[in-house]
Amino acid sequence: MAALIRGLRAGRALRGLGGVAVQGTVSLQCSNVRRGFHRAALLRLASDSKSDTSVPPPSYHEVHTAGESSSSSAQGESSEDAQPNTSFQDQSGEHGEDYETEEQLQARILTAALEFVPQHGWTVEAIAAAAETLGLSSASTGMFNNGAGDLVLHFVAQCNAQLAETLAEQNNQVQLGQAEAKKTAEFLKDAVETRLRMLIPYIDTWPQAMSILLLPHNIPDSLKHLSTMVDDIWYYAGDRSTDVNWYTRRAALTGIYNTTELVMVQDSSPDFEETWAFLDNRIKDVVNMANTAKQVQATGEAVVQGLMGAAITLKNLTGMNQRR
Amino acid sequence: MHRFVRPQLMLRDSKQPLLPRAGHLCTNHKSVVSSVRGYVVLPPTSDEEEKAMLHRMMRVDHAGEYGANRIYAGQMAVLGRTQISPLIQEMWDQEKQHLRKFNEILAENRVRPTLLLPLWNIAGFALGAGSALLGKEGAMACTVAVEESISEHYNSQIRTLMEKDPEKYTELLQLIKEFRDDEMEHHDTGLEHDAESVNLNYCHDRMSCMNYNIKIQILNNSNN
Repeated sequence: MAALIRGLRAGRALRGLGGVAVQGTVSLQCSNVRRGFHRAALLRLASDSKSDTSVPPPSYHEVHTAGESSSSSAQGESSEDAQPNTSFQDQSGEHGEDYETEEQLQARILTAALEFVPQHGWTVEAIAAAAETLGLSSASTGMFNNGAGDLVLHFVAQCNAQLAETLAEQNNQVQLGQAEAKKTAEFLKDAVETRLRMLIPYIDTWPQAMSILLLPHNIPDSLKHLSTMVDDIWYYAGDRSTDVNWYTRRAALTGIYNTTELVMVQDSSPDFEETWAFLDNRIKDVVNMANTAKQVQATGEAVVQGLMGAAITLKNLTGMNQRR
Repeated sequence: MHRFVRPQLMLRDSKQPLLPRAGHLCTNHKSVVSSVRGYVVLPPTSDEEEKAMLHRMMRVDHAGEYGANRIYAGQMAVLGRTQISPLIQEMWDQEKQHLRKFNEILAENRVRPTLLLPLWNIAGFALGAGSALLGKEGAMACTVAVEESISEHYNSQIRTLMEKDPEKYTELLQLIKEFRDDEMEHHDTGLEHDAESVNLNYCHDRMSCMNYNIKIQILNNSNN
């Protein structure tokens, strides 16, 4: 890994020296970069290290030129990437001033790859195309052990982070009195709609993404993302329950979200009207069920009271209640 | 009981303490006063492991208090009309306060409650009612056993926190110490009221202790 980074730095430095940020069309630079990667790839295969926290800092010149181009975008990525993919190698302690961590670089590549998804689908080709636009070799897809899975999980994490930000912002507005607090059903509907709308640009290829998320080795991560998202939505909706309701509410919302997502991928109505209508109906169902449950409980309690009253009356009548 | 509260500003955004809003009925004045505070019990942390550990501790404690609550409820259901009832009621009220406090902590810190709560609900009530059916001594024996287990559990938590970093966990330690002292008081009350007078109590002691220990073990293991 260390060698790979060094190779990347060398590639970028050479590009800087060349003075032109081109998509690898200058053959001399290209071949240098490829040679660097080839060497790096060999070294990586040879070495066994999983996570290399002792990467020696590259030469000052390299850092300087690499830093200019990467620091601004890296900061943008790291703040956005609230939930880094768990299959990334962990180098979170590596924040030098102009030093981009591997995590940040991967995040940058994956974010860029999203643009190529409509064209290539959720595949390694999209990642490779993105790597090339960033001036890296398409061989840098080797960084992603999980391939397309990394791309999909990155996208899901990004969307969830965006949703959490939006909900927090709305919450602030309500706290400051600048906006009205929504009712629970409406809040849930809006939150789920906001989150699902983020899929619209990729809706044609989304079934492929969904199937990737259902692969056995991706299931733990995708479940984690899903449960965090549902927890966030309920938290901002005002749920502070500390009993079984905590679980039933989240289970209900997970069901609503998943079914609505499925409806959305095969919805062809203008602006997905049918999907939002479906969502509305499902939320109404859940609210109805909750109300019914409450009513049943109240009725049950009333019935019990009635029976107790009848029993006491009977005891009184038969004289069993007298103190002896 | 519905706990629907409009979400509060995150602590980092304002200096205001997280207050329960109008939607939360506070019938006990003491609870209102105790919830207005300028500090947070769980220290904010960005270390995932530490956060997981703290959440686990709070989850187990919450379940413990919930169970204790149900035990007293069971005892009151059987012995509610006898002479011992004011005493049990007083101890039950203290447990209710503890539970309320833990509910607050769980809500504030977004800690997941344990999935086994319905189980502790039934088991606790059954234990309380069952021991009360053996009479006042039985109920007191049960109280003694359970409170002993709880105190031991809190003590081990205090030890763990002290070992890690007493400075950082000051408020949390204070809270746990306070609750542990309350539980010890219940334990002593139980002893005072003839808990040891019956032979039967030996097995009963062991059973309640075992029950409680099993509960804590299950919680600790399932949430690890």
